Amino acid sequence: MTKQQITEGEQRVLEEMDAISGRVSAEELSKRMGDKKERVISILNSLDQRKLVSLIIEEIPSYHLTEEGSEYTSHGLPEIRLFNAVKELHGKATMDDAVEKSGLTQRAQGIAINWARKKGWLKIGKENGDTVLETVTEDVDSDIEDLLSYLTKNSHIPENLDNVKQEALSRTLVEETTRKKFEAEITDRETVRSLISVQGGGVTHLTPSMITEGTWKEVEFRPFNVEAHPAPVFLGRKHPYAEFNDWLREILIGLGFEEWFGPYVETEFWNNDALFVPQDHVSREIQDQFRVDQPYSHGDISDNKYYKAVKSVHEDGGDTGSKGYQSTFSKEVSTRLCLRSHTTPVSMRFLHDHRLSPQKMFIIDRNFRSEKLSASHAMEFNQCEGIIMDANLTLKDLMGYITEIVESVGIKKMKFKPGQFPFTEPSIECFAKHEELGWIEVAPGGIFRPEVTAPLGIKDSVLAWGIGSGRLYMASMGISDIRDLYSKDLSWIRRNYFLR
Amino acid sequence: MIVECKIDDLLELIGTEMSIAKLEETLFLLKAEVEEVKGNQIQIEINPDRQDMLSAEGIARAVKSFIGINTKPHRYEVVASGKKIVAKRGLAKIRRYISCGIVKGLESHDELIKEYMRLQEALTSTHGRNRRNASIGLYVHDDLKFPVKYYAAKPEKIEFVPLGNEESMRAREILEKHEKGQEFGYIIDKFKKWPLLVDDEDKILSLPPIINSNDLGRITVDTENIFVEVTGTHLPTVNQALNIMLTSLVERGGTIESVEVHYPDGKSVVTPSLEPTKIRLDLGEVQSLTGLDLTTRQVLECLRKMGYGGKAIGKETIEVEIPPYRVDVLHIVDVIEDVAIGYGFDKIQPTMPETMTRGKLLPATRLKNKIRDLLIGAGYQEILSYILSSPEILNDKMLRDSDLVGTLNPKSRDYSVLRNSLLPILLEFISQNQHADYPQKVFEIGDIITPDKEKETRSRQVPSVAGVIIDSEVNLTNLMNELGFLLRNLGLDEDFSFTRNTNPAFIEGRYATIEVISESIGYFGQIAPIVLENFNLSKPVIGFEIEIPTKGTWNPA
Repeated sequence: MTKQQITEGEQRVLEEMDAISGRVSAEELSKRMGDKKERVISILNSLDQRKLVSLIIEEIPSYHLTEEGSEYTSHGLPEIRLFNAVKELHGKATMDDAVEKSGLTQRAQGIAINWARKKGWLKIGKENGDTVLETVTEDVDSDIEDLLSYLTKNSHIPENLDNVKQEALSRTLVEETTRKKFEAEITDRETVRSLISVQGGGVTHLTPSMITEGTWKEVEFRPFNVEAHPAPVFLGRKHPYAEFNDWLREILIGLGFEEWFGPYVETEFWNNDALFVPQDHVSREIQDQFRVDQPYSHGDISDNKYYKAVKSVHEDGGDTGSKGYQSTFSKEVSTRLCLRSHTTPVSMRFLHDHRLSPQKMFIIDRNFRSEKLSASHAMEFNQCEGIIMDANLTLKDLMGYITEIVESVGIKKMKFKPGQFPFTEPSIECFAKHEELGWIEVAPGGIFRPEVTAPLGIKDSVLAWGIGSGRLYMASMGISDIRDLYSKDLSWIRRNYFLR
Repeated sequence: MIVECKIDDLLELIGTEMSIAKLEETLFLLKAEVEEVKGNQIQIEINPDRQDMLSAEGIARAVKSFIGINTKPHRYEVVASGKKIVAKRGLAKIRRYISCGIVKGLESHDELIKEYMRLQEALTSTHGRNRRNASIGLYVHDDLKFPVKYYAAKPEKIEFVPLGNEESMRAREILEKHEKGQEFGYIIDKFKKWPLLVDDEDKILSLPPIINSNDLGRITVDTENIFVEVTGTHLPTVNQALNIMLTSLVERGGTIESVEVHYPDGKSVVTPSLEPTKIRLDLGEVQSLTGLDLTTRQVLECLRKMGYGGKAIGKETIEVEIPPYRVDVLHIVDVIEDVAIGYGFDKIQPTMPETMTRGKLLPATRLKNKIRDLLIGAGYQEILSYILSSPEILNDKMLRDSDLVGTLNPKSRDYSVLRNSLLPILLEFISQNQHADYPQKVFEIGDIITPDKEKETRSRQVPSVAGVIIDSEVNLTNLMNELGFLLRNLGLDEDFSFTRNTNPAFIEGRYATIEVISESIGYFGQIAPIVLENFNLSKPVIGFEIEIPTKGTWNPA
């Protein structure tokens, strides 16, 4: 048999209830304890589930006059006002005369006739084309009026007026609201007493004066239920995906990489041309790449010398020994604004400003592709990539760097295959063995083509690598829906965390 | 691009027994990936540089060399047919180039014809840039009367039965109603005259790049001799497409014949040209790019496995012969990559990195991390949102009218512009979380973007941080204390101040701007009920936003 555990709050509630005999309301308890009523109710609920107290919830209706109802309490019911008017006009009058006499409004007039006829007070007929009203009884009185006037001071309905409640409600003269009344009573006083006494005895709070005056020596402290399982609380915390990216940064700094950045809005020059992506390449079309057209559709290229060198490698290879694409190069296309489709233009901007070896740079940031948001596609995704520039670097070094990076993120088994990117040659793809997903492509890479580095006057090898960081994160979090990377669900974010 | 083949057919072309696993491994090392195997069907993903592998024939050709079944470089005999193609004036701006060839003694059955069509489609959609740069037509050679004429004709005068149809159609009708016309019509419909291919008896071969005629352009199982034409706007692409098409067709047998193309300026060209291109390769170049120390013999062996020819011309130099279908070779580095692939990526030993550099974070990242830590200490939950948002959230609901950087081709209006502020993003976030436990205290740190005419990219991008608190009761004094905590810990004790201000999105009298050294860096306040209504929020909200300096400090020095 497991020993009953009670929390400090439960202890206090039970103590209060033990002191009062019989039923006690949650309000009363909360007053006595100086605690919030909601908290007391929640404690009572928990005690009720464990059959220590029985919680009785009663729904108590209360009634209030609506705007219309309170208007009638001061002016009288419209049907009575109409009846009285006809009666004063000697028991018979045309509609117009009666209404004028009664002083009823247009709207109230309809209500008055309706109810006066329904209750059999007035008879309606036609004479010479006029609508004529005639009294049928001598005097009238209405329980509704009594109910309304009663409710101006009270919020319950006395038994003798219960029969007209429905009519008042359906005429929306009165509205009903219910309130829950929580009352509780101890089910088994003996058990409860033994529970609070086991916990009980002694002092709850150690006060500063007890310490300074030394009185703590004379007291015993009441034990605290230190085995209670804590309730979840939501304190300040990092976003799990941000934690993951922090972790990647830490790894790359450790490997000697310097962080860099670049703009989301790019010219196609930096996004594609500088990377030797042909100007008519399908990835540059609007199905794939976001174009920017508001408020400007084109930017410019500040380094004209560099622009000319890039143009020339596209057209005929320039002086790189390449054939180039043997087609015309358009400045209009080059200056067109887009949302960058990868982080590699940032590597180019870095190289533009850092042309001397050695350099190691990385970036973890957002990129954009013209996709509709779904479980498997997103218009925004993070990339983690970087470059290494030094004399005498080769494909073997690239494989070495990628091995280091990929092992640092916890992958043990990997293999390389040749790959293809317009801006690197040779190009490689690193596949990692994932426990559930099998072989997945995790790290693309390559050595920048001469057509990419020569326009900057760079002769040393530039190794480029990337990691499919979003995919790694999804795998480590067990996420299958890509929308969860930037989840809009606060409860999900509060529940989930990244552990390396 | 995915190529689908029949496994038995592929293995027969390769000419050896091979397990699927072995085939998969071989393709992996050859840059191709097996996507799916289902019964006798195999789907293979080909990288866009290897246009020559877009067919079972091309894949088999590459595998055969790689595993050593074929040890000779691929050379193609071309017999001169003496047949002529005459290109007339008027095509210069429309579709200038035409290159053709003939294949005789072709093997053909139903499956193969489909296979040829698939290669033709694949080549023209990728390499031919959706037929704009180059499109391919195949015809029954024996039904044609040479010379074939290529000229620009008025659309009103063109009428024929398109391939696969029974009724004759006018050219405009084909563009409007025929599936291919609708898809590719845009390439020619802006011109007054359209390109047309006819034979010597004026029978129509095709309306390039749209569709062949049913009379001459329908290959059947009885067709032994095929006439192949490629028209286009970019001559290198036109010739490359022709080379890949012809060399793939004869992979199963048959001979290639050349034709003479006569251009209106008097020049004539013999096509195809299947002579290998020659390029010199030094051993030093291989070493410096791949790190592999190889002898000329070894390099020659690697090249052979990749289908190249070549011979040593001196101790350290090789004259490489590039096969005519390898259209991706632009530079010697492309050949060197193939040396490495021929060597085997599985055999290359990675070397330990040696480049010594200092790792460091951006100053902005360090400042952002500091701010994140402080806000988390103050009890805020970090959230991350998309950079793309909507004018409704950023402007309309916030009663703002700011300029936004917008995209031409958004897939949805909800993600059509770049966020220029984070506070509205947070309000939208909490409006989606009204069922979650309160209080909710969230913050986001990230870049915001505004138009800027002076910048190269016409936009200004800076980091920003915003936070909001929503609960049944909110306390502006607490928020101000938290902001004080934040700013003091950022070293701004003496420099920050709050200035009462007005903003329609905030309750009058409960809004202030945050100044650092008399420059406004942000704002805070209690959100106006009208804005809460706009976001469908039913509890009071307070919040702030502060722009963060990209250089990582507010200190002007």
